[in-house]
Amino acid sequence: MRIRFRKHRDGRAQKDQEAKYGSRNCHPEPELESFRQVRARLCRQSKWHWMAVFLVAIWVPRAPAAEIQPSEVRPDQVQSGTLLFRMQHGYEIATRMKTDIDARVTGLVARVSVRQAFMNDGPEWVEGVYVFPLPDEAAVDHLRMTIGERIIEGEIREKAQAKKQYEQAKAEGRKASLVEQERANLFTASVANVAPGETVIVEIEYLQTIRYDEGAFSLRFPMTVTPRYINGHPLPDRTGSGWSPDTTWVLDASRITPPVVKRSKDQKVTFNAELNAGVPLALIASRYHVVDISNNGSRYHVALAKGGAPMDHDLELTWKPVPDSLPRAMLFTEAIDGDQHALLMMLPPDDFSVLRQRVPRELIFVIDTSGSMHGTSIDQAKRALNLALSGLAPADRFNVIQFNSMTGALFPNSVDASASNIAVARRYVSGLNAEGGTEMYPALSRALMAAHYESYLRQVIFITDGSVGNESALFTLIEQQLGNSRLFTVGIGSAPNSWFMRKAAEAGRGTFTTISALHEVNEKMERLFRKIELPQVTDIVVQWPGNVIAESYPATIPDLYAGEPIMVRTRLASGVAANATVLIRGTSAGGSWDAELDWETGEARSGIGALWARARIEELMDRRRQGRSEEETRDAVVAVALKHHLVSRFTSLVAVDKTPVRPGNTLLTREQVPNLLPYGQSMVAISGFTATATDAAVYRMNGVLLMLTGWLFFTYLKFWRSGSATRKDD
Amino acid sequence: MQRVKTIKRYLRGLLLALLLCLGFWQFGQGVYIPAKAWVAQELMHRAWLRAGTGSHKPAPWPWADTYPVARLSTKGGDVQLIVLEGGSGRTLAFGPGHLSLSALPGQSGNSIIMGHRDTHFRFLQFLALGDTLQVELPDGRKHVYEVSAIDVVDSRRGSLVLDTDDSMLSLVTCYPFDAMEAGGPMRYVVSARLAS
Repeated sequence: MRIRFRKHRDGRAQKDQEAKYGSRNCHPEPELESFRQVRARLCRQSKWHWMAVFLVAIWVPRAPAAEIQPSEVRPDQVQSGTLLFRMQHGYEIATRMKTDIDARVTGLVARVSVRQAFMNDGPEWVEGVYVFPLPDEAAVDHLRMTIGERIIEGEIREKAQAKKQYEQAKAEGRKASLVEQERANLFTASVANVAPGETVIVEIEYLQTIRYDEGAFSLRFPMTVTPRYINGHPLPDRTGSGWSPDTTWVLDASRITPPVVKRSKDQKVTFNAELNAGVPLALIASRYHVVDISNNGSRYHVALAKGGAPMDHDLELTWKPVPDSLPRAMLFTEAIDGDQHALLMMLPPDDFSVLRQRVPRELIFVIDTSGSMHGTSIDQAKRALNLALSGLAPADRFNVIQFNSMTGALFPNSVDASASNIAVARRYVSGLNAEGGTEMYPALSRALMAAHYESYLRQVIFITDGSVGNESALFTLIEQQLGNSRLFTVGIGSAPNSWFMRKAAEAGRGTFTTISALHEVNEKMERLFRKIELPQVTDIVVQWPGNVIAESYPATIPDLYAGEPIMVRTRLASGVAANATVLIRGTSAGGSWDAELDWETGEARSGIGALWARARIEELMDRRRQGRSEEETRDAVVAVALKHHLVSRFTSLVAVDKTPVRPGNTLLTREQVPNLLPYGQSMVAISGFTATATDAAVYRMNGVLLMLTGWLFFTYLKFWRSGSATRKDD
Repeated sequence: MQRVKTIKRYLRGLLLALLLCLGFWQFGQGVYIPAKAWVAQELMHRAWLRAGTGSHKPAPWPWADTYPVARLSTKGGDVQLIVLEGGSGRTLAFGPGHLSLSALPGQSGNSIIMGHRDTHFRFLQFLALGDTLQVELPDGRKHVYEVSAIDVVDSRRGSLVLDTDDSMLSLVTCYPFDAMEAGGPMRYVVSARLAS
């Protein structure tokens, strides 16, 4: 035996240890003698005392490790002089956050304002830093900083320049705020020189298009960031103050890994939405939050019930027009400096979608079993996978791949969907556990590269929360290895990385689905299976009026699956004649069709230009991944972003006050405001520190207590019976 | 009357049996965890010896998803532990785990090893400043570290720094050592500096 823990338990060794280190480690073994004494005493007392002993034995207080307060750490246990930790100043974060979201929806466009109040409760001046998520297609175009009565409008600048301006103001003691983009759906707001006891409000506005799918519109507001898995080797310098160092794979890891807290009274959000759908609604609902809804004609007002909710769960609003009230096509336009911008949504004709002959499929299910899926996410994923297995036809082939730090496959190659194979798969799925890292690359690569079967259509169903930092590398992988396969992403959890889900599905020429609660697994998986059969509309071409050059995004319109609309944004480099028309052509199962739309019918709406610009920036970023040079991309993005006042990877919004307020001799503390842990996720699985204790002691104690209770019960029975026997004798 | 009494007695017996069974089961769980920790270390010492004879990254048991990276021992040799690669809960049940992101012992940078406070890393509470720790790598190289700091940190706030200039070793376990329940936020961190 090489670990000799026993030695420390030995009386003499224990004494020696105490002499050397003091008696701080003194934790006496439970003394069983005392129980014997208790029994001896209680034997002489009434049976009610016995019951009390049972109860006390069962409810004996435990030392709850989770509630240990920092103050319980005695000074002699903490020795200073270490540079290992970047501790926050003290244990309490002084900066509190309150978020108010206000959304106005008209037709297909939402304008949303997010007001973040940074409240400094501490005695020092602080710089508050907050990493927060926004919808992945958000076009952020406004920043407003409010200090008391004063309002300072933000300016759009090139990223480095904005940062410089902000840092300078910060050093000079002036108030300033900066909004930067880290990922398409992840932003950082910083506010410098918040005085003790002061509140500074940073207000951000963005535009977003509404998603339409199978007869329903939906708008999703992400609330928190699922901690992402960071792979690669650590780099010596760090650019941010997150919990991860920057690594060779994720160069900005320290900027996208904000601290996470499990509970906080301060992380609350209020939400208000004005909805003007333009058509009568059959249904309006929030999927995961309790809301109050009132309406005045077709204008609806939605607010979170009871004035707010913790920010641990994405909010999703869904509304469904009365059947057949929705026009087949909607066109919105905006003219900026002589250029015409347009947003077009069109529903392809239904009657063409006759079912084609079923092609045998090879379905490869890839399931994420990493630590971030721990909690309710893995249950949702397993249920979804089980449903998917039920959806297989005997002619199909299938395989199940799971990944965390390592990739494992159920079968070396895909097998026939026979009853016995499916039974094997079910057993495999029920035994899956979520722990470890999120090494997605090998798993995806394995799914896409597996040996191909002639005449089978390969569809990869990828079930994950997408909590990775190396999204770009994964998109590249999908683009390069897709071949004839199709990739369908299923986003799981309270706060999935929806940017990853959407872009991965786009690169994989499939669709994406989000499942955020166990009760919607059935509904959404069934919908996915309906869609997945085959794309319903292909070869879609939109011909814009006249012979002007149209810059449309997406540049080539992807194949549509059942219930999906054509959604395209464009810019026409000149005016459009009064009687011009837009021509749309496509091929469905029933044959090819075309539709014509008068440009005149388009409604003028502000924000369409910015939405187009946002789509163009995304296209430019995609092209960089496909090999376009960094500088070329940068220049093109900066030009578009500056023109349309948009935050991008290369441009930031900055607001600076003119007058210095912080006295030159006081220090400024940097504080990163934590995000809430997504609902249903367990902290242990994702914190930078692994859980380093087992429940062995609790088990042992429970065991001893239960056996002791049994033994006491036994002696009590004996005692009572002999007692009653004595009474009978009397 | 007699029948009611029999039933009562029967029920009592059943309750008693149930309590004892539950007790045994829970106690068994409580004993199984440290027993597994101990047996795994035994197996891993064998794997370690095999590693010494040239087998590359040998798995300690056929289905293991980790492999030994170092042998950690205290000065007197009272404690000898095989350190495994990776810090997942599965690994830590068998031995202390070396955080894959961190440097390997002996290299420049911070090498982080995590272990359970109630099994392998119980001995951390008895370490004092200036104590020496020896880390032996599979290729036979030995490094001696000297304990330079002992901290209690809040894992929700602090972060481990990986990029130190010197060669450092950080041994991390849960704190307090005698807390009943697992899952607390406090960590006990013993930092050691390469001595030679």
